[in-house]
Amino acid sequence: MLGVSFLSPLFLIAAAAAAVPILLHLFHRKTEVVIDFPAVSLLTRVPVQQHRRRRLRELVLLALRVIALVLLAISFARPYFNGGAAPDSAPLTVIAIDTSMSMSAPGQFDRAREAATRAIGAAPAAHALALMGFADSANVLVEPTTNRSAISSVLSDMRPGDGGTRFRTALGRASELIGARDGRVVVITDLQQAGWDANDDGGLPDGVGVEVVRIAPPAANLALTSAEKRDRRIVASIQNFGAAEVSVPVHVIADGKELAKAAVTIGANGAANVEIPAALPDSGDAEVRIDDATGYQPDNVRSVRLEAMPAIPIGIVVADPTGAVGGLYVERALSVAGNGREFDVDVRDGRDVAARSGADLSKVAAMYVLGTRTLDRPGRELIKTYLAGGGQVFLAMGPDVDPGTLADVLGVTLSFEDSAIKTPGATMIASDGRHPIFRPFLSPSGALGDVQVEQHRRLNDQADRTVLARFSGGDAALTEQAVGQGRLLVFTSDLDNQWSRFPLNPAFVPFSVETARYLTKGRRPAPVVATMDVRESNPAAITVEEFTNAIERTNRAAVRAAGHAARDIEDRQRWWQVGLIVMLLALSAEALIGRRTT
Amino acid sequence: MAGAARYLDPAIIARLGTIDLKARAIVEGFLTGLHRSPYKGFSVEFAEYRQYLPGDDLATLDWKVFARSDRHFVKKYEEETNLTCHLLLDVSRSMGYASGEITKLQYASYLTGALAYLMHRQRDAFGLIAFDDSIAALLPASARSGHLHAVLLALERLQVGAGTDVAKPLHDLAAAVRKRGMVVLVSDLLDDPTRVLDGLKHFRYRGTDVIVFHILDPYERRFPFEQAARFRDMESGEEVMAVPGSIRADYLERMEARIDFYRRELGLAGIDYCLLETSEPLELGLMAYLMTRRRVL
Repeated sequence: MLGVSFLSPLFLIAAAAAAVPILLHLFHRKTEVVIDFPAVSLLTRVPVQQHRRRRLRELVLLALRVIALVLLAISFARPYFNGGAAPDSAPLTVIAIDTSMSMSAPGQFDRAREAATRAIGAAPAAHALALMGFADSANVLVEPTTNRSAISSVLSDMRPGDGGTRFRTALGRASELIGARDGRVVVITDLQQAGWDANDDGGLPDGVGVEVVRIAPPAANLALTSAEKRDRRIVASIQNFGAAEVSVPVHVIADGKELAKAAVTIGANGAANVEIPAALPDSGDAEVRIDDATGYQPDNVRSVRLEAMPAIPIGIVVADPTGAVGGLYVERALSVAGNGREFDVDVRDGRDVAARSGADLSKVAAMYVLGTRTLDRPGRELIKTYLAGGGQVFLAMGPDVDPGTLADVLGVTLSFEDSAIKTPGATMIASDGRHPIFRPFLSPSGALGDVQVEQHRRLNDQADRTVLARFSGGDAALTEQAVGQGRLLVFTSDLDNQWSRFPLNPAFVPFSVETARYLTKGRRPAPVVATMDVRESNPAAITVEEFTNAIERTNRAAVRAAGHAARDIEDRQRWWQVGLIVMLLALSAEALIGRRTT
Repeated sequence: MAGAARYLDPAIIARLGTIDLKARAIVEGFLTGLHRSPYKGFSVEFAEYRQYLPGDDLATLDWKVFARSDRHFVKKYEEETNLTCHLLLDVSRSMGYASGEITKLQYASYLTGALAYLMHRQRDAFGLIAFDDSIAALLPASARSGHLHAVLLALERLQVGAGTDVAKPLHDLAAAVRKRGMVVLVSDLLDDPTRVLDGLKHFRYRGTDVIVFHILDPYERRFPFEQAARFRDMESGEEVMAVPGSIRADYLERMEARIDFYRRELGLAGIDYCLLETSEPLELGLMAYLMTRRRVL
């Protein structure tokens, strides 16, 4: 119904009261007094037009009364626009199609479309339908609707991408769509084994049925897992996800021309490296491609940047660069990124910051502020200007940060408690695992759960500040906010192994690197061919039963969150107020017109 | 209203049996009251001599005849018989309207019957023409003794007809009347006033005296309706949606203007005009008639 839902739909029954004025109108018409009178010729003639106008006025009055009653009922039903096309109360069938790279084998996605078409036809007539595609993330392509042809038209435009498979993400989004109503989910997927590996969240409420349509993966797949330039050679790694030994040609292509070609033989479920000498240009990109007609297509090609990428300048401001608290861990973590060539890290004492000019500082792609005690006023001004002018700043609020001068450094007041909170053994949890900084930690091998923090500063929540991660006690661990044209990330503990053992944790390096990449993403060229998760190239699949058993079931009560969300939406929109105002206007108009009639 | 005069109340008259009885009650009641009025001694003429018999009033002896013939004769008087009166009664559908107990047609019938009875007592010849848009009943003028009964019977059998066309029977009758007489029109005059006037003037051109009884219902005079309603014309069926409160003043103004028109124009034409409401005593009509008759004679 045009995306309109109601918090209290039972009140709509009261709209039946609109029949009362209609019945009264009809009754009144039937019992209209007719008087036989001899001297009608002496009565003031009411022109036909005027009589019609009176009839029209009566109809307008009737319409106004009906509108007022209907609006009253609608207002009490608390309407809101949810952007969907089907009412929240209607049962829902969610068709979730796997659009990950592992669905890109020849003919595979066509079979998925056919399965989806069958699922649309087989869906109960009373059900609304929703269509979503899922890979790394789940995207709702068609909101709940009763228009099935709309789904079919979108379905024909769907294509597999190069993302990984994340079943929990898909199920979680389907659960959000279904909300508190009855529903079922049709999952159309190749049941790739790696689909459950990601450490994300998502399940289905009790009672929501799951129908799994298995799209058979290819029997084998060859994946070009990496390719890089070493001197005048291309070194490529190829993995064979098949039970038989295969020999595959490897092509090196630049500017549309094949520069070199080599063949490599790979054993069953094995991997092999191949070095291909080639007359490579000094700049631009080269494409490395393998021939695998039956396997997944996106993993058959990799892009190699031929010229050396300039290192991205990173500045680290510390209180004492010579001591143990001199930003050593962050520097070392960033130095390993991209084989040591991705970042150019410059560690400076706060006293030296003032020596740099503003123009010099603006060349820094991102700045880590680990200590402010030695920053003088010009230094603080420089950092503040840098941040407000579009700079990217990472602030670790360890013991070397002087709370009293922090507002001068950042240009904003952070609102935190001066004294540190001691929370021995507190761990860090990402608020949104899909945030670019935490994406590497979705797999169990790099979980943040092992990070332990002994002390941190309590940062109060603010409306303009997003909490990216929290400590196990609930306090913010990592926040993000805009400051002027720049961006500020605040880590509420330290990164110098004073208040936490985080720098010694295996998660520290990927955390630091991903944070730096996130802050400097505006300074790096976009890759010609997107890199992809190697696990997505593995066609190994699980059974339908294994898939079904792995689904985490949640209590229906948990779904109330969706109801709360609806309440929040309704509370923001407040259409009931508009309804009541319009109702009052209708009643006023009715009174005005009615008085003129009598 | 006491004694016989109470029978002049239309509501009481309506409860009496036949129209014969009604007419008699009206006239006798009227005449009883008339003895005290200045209009006594009307319409008696010398008829013959008769030999005196014991018991006759000595005042009626003709002493001149006794002187010439030495015989006693008394004078016999007889009511005038040379007046021919035509009673024109409108029986159109609008005459069927009644806000109270009697319709305008009933009232008009009682009045017409009473007039006929009175004329019969006066030995006047009288006829009856009932009409709506055409002539519904026609009894030629006559002074025969049984004629009264025929007229009263015709009045009792009258039913409301169709639309009103007063002018046409007036013109037809005016052309047919040959000797000096009198025309009594009893109608609600809900017709084109100009045409009605033309028809009545036609009589005047031919030397016929005319008296018009304009019969209206009290609701037609005062329009006391309150509730908004559709007013349907009893003759044409035309409907007018109206809220009485908003059109009452306008209606009353038009009604009074029409009455004033009739009163003024008929007076200028030498035609007597008598406005009667169906709630008013019938003696007013009889009185008006007698005044006209006196003037005619």
